[in-house]
Amino acid sequence: MHRKQFLLGSLGGIVMVANTQHVFARALADTPLPGLPGAADRCLVVVNLQGGNDGLNCIVPHGDAQYYQLRPSIAVPRGDVLGIDNHIGFNPAMRSMKALYDKGMLAVVQGVGYPDPDHSHFRSTEIWQTAVPAKYEHTGWLGRYLDEAALPKDNLFNGVAIAQVLPEALVAERTDVPAIAQVNGYGLLSDRQSDSRSAYRKLVGDDRLPFDSPYLAHVAQIEDHAQKGSEELPKLIAGYKPAGAYPATPLGRSLSLAAQIIASKAGTRVLYVQHGSFDTHINQKATQDRLLGELADAMKAFYDDLEAHGNDKRVLTMTFSEFGRRIAENASRGTDHGEASPLFLAGGGVKGGVYGAYPDLGDTNQGNLRFGTDFRSVYATVLERWLGRPSEGILQGKFPTIAAV
Amino acid sequence: MAIAHTDVAGMDRPAGRLDIGSALREYTGPWNVRLAAHLLRRAGFGGTPADIERAASHSMNGAVDALVHFPSTDALPQPPQLFDPRAMLRDMLFAGQISLKPDDTQKREIGKQIRQGERRSLIDLQRWWLNRMIQTPAPLQEKLTLYFHGHFTTAAIQKGVTPQMLLNQNRLFRTNALGNLRELTWQVSIDPGMMLYLDNARSDAAHPNENYARELMELFTLGVDQYAEKDVRESARAWTGWIVARRTGKSQFVASRHDNGSKTFLGETGNWSGRDVVDIIYKQPASAAFWATSLLNFFLYNDPEPELVSAVASLLRKNDYNLAPVMSTLLRSTIFYSPRAYRALVKSPVEFVTGTYKALGLTQLDERAQRALVQMGQILFYPPNVAGWPGGANWLTSQTMIARQNFLAGLVNSPEMEQGGWMQDVPMKAAQASSDLIATILQDDASATARAQLASYLNGSGTSALGMLSAENYQERVRGAAYLTMAMPAYQLA
Repeated sequence: MHRKQFLLGSLGGIVMVANTQHVFARALADTPLPGLPGAADRCLVVVNLQGGNDGLNCIVPHGDAQYYQLRPSIAVPRGDVLGIDNHIGFNPAMRSMKALYDKGMLAVVQGVGYPDPDHSHFRSTEIWQTAVPAKYEHTGWLGRYLDEAALPKDNLFNGVAIAQVLPEALVAERTDVPAIAQVNGYGLLSDRQSDSRSAYRKLVGDDRLPFDSPYLAHVAQIEDHAQKGSEELPKLIAGYKPAGAYPATPLGRSLSLAAQIIASKAGTRVLYVQHGSFDTHINQKATQDRLLGELADAMKAFYDDLEAHGNDKRVLTMTFSEFGRRIAENASRGTDHGEASPLFLAGGGVKGGVYGAYPDLGDTNQGNLRFGTDFRSVYATVLERWLGRPSEGILQGKFPTIAAV
Repeated sequence: MAIAHTDVAGMDRPAGRLDIGSALREYTGPWNVRLAAHLLRRAGFGGTPADIERAASHSMNGAVDALVHFPSTDALPQPPQLFDPRAMLRDMLFAGQISLKPDDTQKREIGKQIRQGERRSLIDLQRWWLNRMIQTPAPLQEKLTLYFHGHFTTAAIQKGVTPQMLLNQNRLFRTNALGNLRELTWQVSIDPGMMLYLDNARSDAAHPNENYARELMELFTLGVDQYAEKDVRESARAWTGWIVARRTGKSQFVASRHDNGSKTFLGETGNWSGRDVVDIIYKQPASAAFWATSLLNFFLYNDPEPELVSAVASLLRKNDYNLAPVMSTLLRSTIFYSPRAYRALVKSPVEFVTGTYKALGLTQLDERAQRALVQMGQILFYPPNVAGWPGGANWLTSQTMIARQNFLAGLVNSPEMEQGGWMQDVPMKAAQASSDLIATILQDDASATARAQLASYLNGSGTSALGMLSAENYQERVRGAAYLTMAMPAYQLA
């Protein structure tokens, strides 16, 4: 076996001693804040708004005349905006999220992006997922967190993606993260026969093989996880009674499952769900309004459900999208790939409000909004101030945190 | 020469010590079914039981000769008819669905139809290629085609890359399968799919695009830290002038778009063209080391030792980057048949699926296998990014493992299983049946305990007395046992 030692695994102590800010962040997260659970009980839910969510029609600059000039047919009319102040406000489809905002449970981080933005869905998604814009990194930022955080090794559910295929953000070097689209599709067909199930269990544990391989132990472990995980999950969430009015949408179902996993004894620290597609090149309004409404309603139901089970303070939810969209609308009443856009942080641990400067519609990068907050600052915030881990190694750089958490 | 040793996550080197003195010397040890199957897994897509028997009945050299001298593949099915947007537009015009000057609604409809047509074509193209891997009499040619697809990645349905371009690129890899790496690099550089995927088609003297120039060195030929940022910029200037003609989809050099100034690239100054850039790159010792590492990772084992990389790199340089003699040496080498290389790689999903069809004697794969490949994380013509598929332990998560095992379970329980023929030959005595399955599918890479457990499954342990292997339940038990044999850890390893 010849495997790279994870930097923070071997040097964790030194990094901690050398960087007092991290020590502070860690202490902050480890000590339960008034009314909040300690870091060990906290959970992060990431919502990927796939396809590039148009930030300008999501958090609307209704006080900016340029917005209305550049978007003659798709701008949200001033009177419809759910105002935050006299400059910005929510898209009217997001009434349920405005309610979370009014309760002080929602933070809006404006103008989030990264330097030298890539306009390809594929590459920009990968940049957000790996948090390494400068190279092709194959582990994800959450995967590196799971590897580094020294979570219970035998727990199969430290991280869970509610998806068909594991998103790159959760690709880890040493943590097996299950991707579960729905509970009843997650399992071995062969387990349906009891004799086949018990034979499988014995055979994958075969440890007297007439050959050696650097991957043998890994293969046997993953084969074992595939069976155990799919057997344990239904038991862990059995008997849960959802207490939120989830919309009958894929995101509603995903967040409902997330709430069940959070309430179980699975010990899950990171969950990942997906929503979209926000790639609104044509006739944007109908599609985006529907998706934003679904997002807001599902988020509201999720926190109602969490609250009813006493979990709302344990769960921080973060949205992200690979990019925002062009400021000016195109000829098809849509918008093309752009750059900076806002993201949301929600949950009991959030200090509600608006963070980051609103991007200037006059000072653009070839018609795109310039970013004011690097997305890795938001990740650093989540890692340090919520999950209680030093972020510098995970993010391969030092980024200032935001006071929203 | 400094070789940057990059230790990639999830790529694990075998235990034990490399004997560099004998590593590339011709293997002279015993030749048997296990090693013949090993050769077929690495230099192809595994084998049917008969293929393995045949390779084992030759000498090692005879078996390798049969692989490196490609037989004619003329009898294989032709590629599918691919979507032709022009024909579609003609038909739509003729049917009055669109006008010569389409409005926005019609344009949207056209766009939708094109996307759907290309998607369908891509699925057809994937299936054609996967079937070709199973059916070809020249498996090494196809294996190298797959290797080059992962190395010089281009993905479909983005940036204007059409299925037809990917088919053309696929043919380019196949034609050059045991050819010259320098020449292939040049051909790939002016391949329309690659030019669109990495933006060289959008580059000109006024605005040189650096995307291809960078990846050419970082991911295709030299590796990181072997060049400076200035080399990327100078190379980008040298590549200007190449475009993909919109009408024909072919690449073309337009002199007026080319930067004719002097460029200094990797220490050499002149009015370089793209072709010169390729030639200068291949003068660098680092390019031989880079290719040696890549080839060893794919064909031998992961994270090869610097001494071994260095030895294969010398071989590449000595042969002026001609792959045929280098692959021939590697496939006959002592290290290739050593216990360190044996089952030392994780099967990629494509190897896993095609190898299963071959092991079961099936010759025709369907959309079910393609859907399973998506779940396993490998979609042909659609690599995750320009760096290709990461490989090694990265293939395996509990979700991809469930996809692998459920694919096997689906296949052994499908009606096609009877076409393989061999199922009828499995003896009706549990101990013998268990031994036969483990010998045929795993070349005996299972313990005595596992053998006994499989026999006990065949005998119906854990079920009622009626579960015992009998004429009535024979088929069902054998299918179940074939699945369990393939579910064992050795089967995940190449």
